[in-house]
Amino acid sequence: MTTPQTQAQPQAQAHATTRTAVRTATRIGDGVDADVRHLIPEGICRTFRVLPYGEEDGTVLVAAADADDAITEQVVAERIDRPVLLVRHTVNEIVAAIDEAYPPVESEVETAEARRARMQMAQMLTRSGLVTAEQLQRAMLEYARTGDPLGDILVSHESISEDVLVAALSELHQMQRVGLGDFEPDLEVARRLPEPLALRLQAIPVAETDDVVLLAVARPLVDDDVTEVERALGSPFRQLLANRTELDQLIQRVHSAHYAEISTRGLMESRPESSAHVVITSTQKALLVMTIVALVLCGVVWPVNTLIGIVGFCSFVYLIVSVYKFRLTLRALGTHLETDVTDAEIASVDERHLPIYTILVPLYKEAGIVPRLVRDINALDYPRTRLDVKLLCEEDDDETIDKIISLQLPPHFHLVVVPDSLPKTKPKACNYGLQLATGTHCVIFDAEDRPDPDQLKKALLAFDHVPANVVCIQAKLNHFNQDQNLLTAWFANEYSMHFELVLPAMGASESPIPLGGTSNHFITSTLRELGAWDPFNVTEDADLGIRLHREGYRTAMIDSTTLEEANSNVGNWIRQRSRWNKGYYQTWLVHMRNPFSLLSQTGLRGFMSFNLTMGSAFVLLMNPIFWGLTTLYVLTQWGFIEQLFPGIVFYAASAMLFIGNFIFVYLNVAGSLQRGEFGITRTALLSPLYWGLMSWAAWKGFIQLFTNPFYWEKTEHGLDEGSS
Amino acid sequence: MTAQLDQPEPDVATVHVVTTRERLAGVVQSVGRRPEDIERRWWESALVFGLFLVAYTWFGYWLVVDMHVVGFETLDRFNRALMIWHNDPPKLSSVGFDYPPLTILLISPLTIVPALASSLIAVPLASSVFAAFTMVIFNTMMRRAQVLAPLRVIVLVAFGLNPLIALYAASGARHFMWLAFVVAALGALFAWYVTADIRFVMIAGLAFAIAALSGYSSLLWFVVSAVMVGAILARLGADGTEIEGTTVGFAAPTVYVIALWSAFNLILVLKPFNWITASSDSASSGGLESFSAVELLEYTGRLVLYGAPIAIVVLPALVFAGIARRNSLALWLAVILFLSIIVPALSVALKLTDSPMVLRNALPILLFSMIGAIWLARSAGDGATLVSALLVAGLIISIPWTFQAMKTYKYQGLESTFAAAVSTRQSQEGATTPDGSTVGYVSEQAMATWIKDNVTLNSSILTDNAQTSAVILLTGDPALFFDRVDKSDGPWLTAAKDPAAHVDYMLLSTGSSEDLLSNLYQDAVDGSNAFLTEAYRTDRYVLVSVPSGFRRGADSLGDQDPAAVSIPGQGITTTPVEGADR
Repeated sequence: MTTPQTQAQPQAQAHATTRTAVRTATRIGDGVDADVRHLIPEGICRTFRVLPYGEEDGTVLVAAADADDAITEQVVAERIDRPVLLVRHTVNEIVAAIDEAYPPVESEVETAEARRARMQMAQMLTRSGLVTAEQLQRAMLEYARTGDPLGDILVSHESISEDVLVAALSELHQMQRVGLGDFEPDLEVARRLPEPLALRLQAIPVAETDDVVLLAVARPLVDDDVTEVERALGSPFRQLLANRTELDQLIQRVHSAHYAEISTRGLMESRPESSAHVVITSTQKALLVMTIVALVLCGVVWPVNTLIGIVGFCSFVYLIVSVYKFRLTLRALGTHLETDVTDAEIASVDERHLPIYTILVPLYKEAGIVPRLVRDINALDYPRTRLDVKLLCEEDDDETIDKIISLQLPPHFHLVVVPDSLPKTKPKACNYGLQLATGTHCVIFDAEDRPDPDQLKKALLAFDHVPANVVCIQAKLNHFNQDQNLLTAWFANEYSMHFELVLPAMGASESPIPLGGTSNHFITSTLRELGAWDPFNVTEDADLGIRLHREGYRTAMIDSTTLEEANSNVGNWIRQRSRWNKGYYQTWLVHMRNPFSLLSQTGLRGFMSFNLTMGSAFVLLMNPIFWGLTTLYVLTQWGFIEQLFPGIVFYAASAMLFIGNFIFVYLNVAGSLQRGEFGITRTALLSPLYWGLMSWAAWKGFIQLFTNPFYWEKTEHGLDEGSS
Repeated sequence: MTAQLDQPEPDVATVHVVTTRERLAGVVQSVGRRPEDIERRWWESALVFGLFLVAYTWFGYWLVVDMHVVGFETLDRFNRALMIWHNDPPKLSSVGFDYPPLTILLISPLTIVPALASSLIAVPLASSVFAAFTMVIFNTMMRRAQVLAPLRVIVLVAFGLNPLIALYAASGARHFMWLAFVVAALGALFAWYVTADIRFVMIAGLAFAIAALSGYSSLLWFVVSAVMVGAILARLGADGTEIEGTTVGFAAPTVYVIALWSAFNLILVLKPFNWITASSDSASSGGLESFSAVELLEYTGRLVLYGAPIAIVVLPALVFAGIARRNSLALWLAVILFLSIIVPALSVALKLTDSPMVLRNALPILLFSMIGAIWLARSAGDGATLVSALLVAGLIISIPWTFQAMKTYKYQGLESTFAAAVSTRQSQEGATTPDGSTVGYVSEQAMATWIKDNVTLNSSILTDNAQTSAVILLTGDPALFFDRVDKSDGPWLTAAKDPAAHVDYMLLSTGSSEDLLSNLYQDAVDGSNAFLTEAYRTDRYVLVSVPSGFRRGADSLGDQDPAAVSIPGQGITTTPVEGADR
């Protein structure tokens, strides 16, 4: 298998050794040599009007329309691992030869008009000294791969600013510009164009006269869109070119109330049975009270037997949760249960067909991380012109907002300011951002995330490989600062087990997967249909995973990792974990409102899997009680404790204590070994201490479920000492 | 505002994001980069397992139930397993510290149904399970070695028919338990070496952990294997972190179980290493026959020659492959095989055994030779078939050779009795082994039958279960007995001194000097105690009735009237003797 890296090396060497000469000929010899004609990819051939057509004495002859052009010369030399001779030919002759070598697909070939506009744009920018030859070459190469507008590519690489591009486009299209930076819109006018249309076309009315509406647009509208806008406005309009970032901000401001309403109340109103805005339903409350009363009555009449019953029940829950998890991990150990996507497939992706990909990044009081976030998003192997990055900030977080504004990010980064309202949760921010999403696919990354660069392409390819009912692809999560301290190492052990073993096995068995907090890739339209995230659930990711399963959809895993910052501070860790546990209890309560409905939707296997997965949060509550009893018994040999563990209960409890606990420790080791993280296997052996912290957090979350159910325990990021 | 905002912003230009691809670039055992392993064939494994299980169980039933070839230690272990479920109350502590704990715990599922245990069907079944499991491992190893299917069948049959293997696979002995897991561990390391799949290191680690608590001598192979894993990784270019992490992953289960077992020993008997100092696997009671160095050498040679002759060819071949062809695993297998050959002599020299140079010591040598031969077959490439054929020849020749040796070899357990049973097809009840033990359990069975027919009350028979375990097992109902497991030794001793207050009967062994109860009531064993009347007697046991009001030594005090006491089970009303307590 050849990886992109391994291809790059000979090219670089070739560039260093190739001598390029130029000669002129009237026609391309006696035909094109089939051995050499595909040495240069189609996109580059068409963009630079070049085609290798023969070989003489080890030198590749390349027909070129502009054989004197230094950029063309360099691009060709970099791609052919042999001496090259550029031979001047006519454009028509070269285009005909290219069409023969790469039979054209009508929709993918640049029209003469478009080519002319592109060349004009390139000339305008180079002659005015706004872009360097290197910048232009880079942009042209990207154009050759993606076919995206050259100007957009230059802006996305920050070679020119959006304002410069708007000025150039204004010149090219002979259109007026409009500055929207400090513009205060007349909402009545601005809302004349329906929000979906405004969002899709990136257009918004900014003023009106008796006869005409002035419409700010990001790019000149095509004819069909013009008709549609005219119909929607009910009057003629005139287009004014605007800066995309400013336009985006204006659309957000105009429609923010609508977005806020949907993001908070959308799920609650469309699917109230799935919303956690009610923590415990009245039926659940009645059942809970009846159970407590029954236990108390039994406890009074048969105190010891009741206690034995409770201990037996807890031991049973313990046992089946453990056996289930063990079974899952055993299945995944040493195997690849993830949806397979090879390096070769990724390398052969035709970027002209890549869809717009929305990246949702919720941020709250994380101004310090923004530069790193921008760097890591830009490091993704995906054309920036096809990225739609939503930086989701809360209205009261001035510092992060100011930071983002000060960075003057290119327009594929969108600052999204979520109006201040309750509940102030990450899912609400994501819902808000989702309404603005323009991508056919979307993914959530946290601010400190470092996804594998090829993750987006891998996820898209995985969507192609899986059955149609798979609407979510979950990438693996792990940590980049696992070596910082014992806590981060434990965290990495736990994630290794969870994402390398448990989740792949669940995905392979089509069980409902509680999604990880980030790096879950969705088909945007399906996500919207599902009602997106529950803003009242503090583990909205886990809840969504179950919800989509109930609707008949599935989640698959891919072997791509996003590195996050592991919590390195105990207090901070407890806060984060208590929220996760609280969310698990919330999720369990929501989906068990009608167990029969859940059973019918998920089947027995799914039902069991859901309950056993959520049961792990309840097991954490039981841990301290059992540990306490064991310790007390060892120290005191108190007969009462012995009474609580008769016969089979004792055997089950002993098996869990001595074998079950070790197995879980060992599975932590196994997860790290499976991941190839050998340095943290030692710390996995100490994970029982970590479980103590987990139980602490579980109790905190459990208590908070009743005292402050929707409170979002914020996790501080940026405590990783800058480790990479 | 949060704390991180006060910190300097990270230098985004210099911080390098390490991608998964980069991170795994230097990892030897990276998932996804290893060679393909063989296809899983559950049906083939199940077939091998099932066939050997049925064959050995059938043969074992004949051997144990019809020929009465079974060791008392085996019956004792089954009795302890039975007590886990059916004692009154059920007691996990019946496992005790005399044997490696898993030799009892692993067979305990077979005693959930008491009839399986009391009919002794569970005895051959238990060892057959582990022997059949071993055969599955060998079959999988041979598949990895690309040995052709017909040859695999012949190898397994030839190996399975080896009389030494057949005896230990069918007679319920515990040796196949730990050996099965050691072979499984080495099989996993074999697979790891072939595939670089780290899962196999973990499987090996877990298998060694079980082996360690099934037979303490497996710890030696564990240590050697741990060194082997590290050395092989180092040779393959793994860095220190990978070697350390892998070794930790490999060693953790065994270290854990040993630490846990030591902790139990510390808590219960205040000696953390009691398990090793008190075990017959690893400690001598002092009555060891002395051997000169020449004798040790001679008997080592005999062990190999008679018990595992294929080792004579396999060992040098492994050394040659290891050195001449730089085949790391071959070299390590040679080390393991060599150690298995010298360990019996070493344990005698270091006084670590009560059973010097016994023929069963050839079992590990034979099993390791098999592993070595299979690896040689794989290493031979195109010559795999030839190596396999040679292995078959060696195994077939071994069958009569070893069988003859079992009849005459000086140091042994049940081997000669087994050979006699197979040769004559006659019950070996009453036969004497070369070490002086008597074979058979008719006496125990008769006593058990009488008890089952006449005693129904739980905890009504006081006995030292360490000496009467076979009787208890054959009744299938340990709840009838008040033994040392029920409430531990303290209350049992109290009851032994005042049996009338606790039980109706006492079961005493007549031929053992280690029966604590018999030692207390020697006159009852002799039949000379006027109060403790015999309810039933066999060659090796006596069951005496304990009259109400009886106290130990009371007869000598002359303060009891034999006529005034009751005879349990015979409808005589109890009349407590006034002042008996005095």
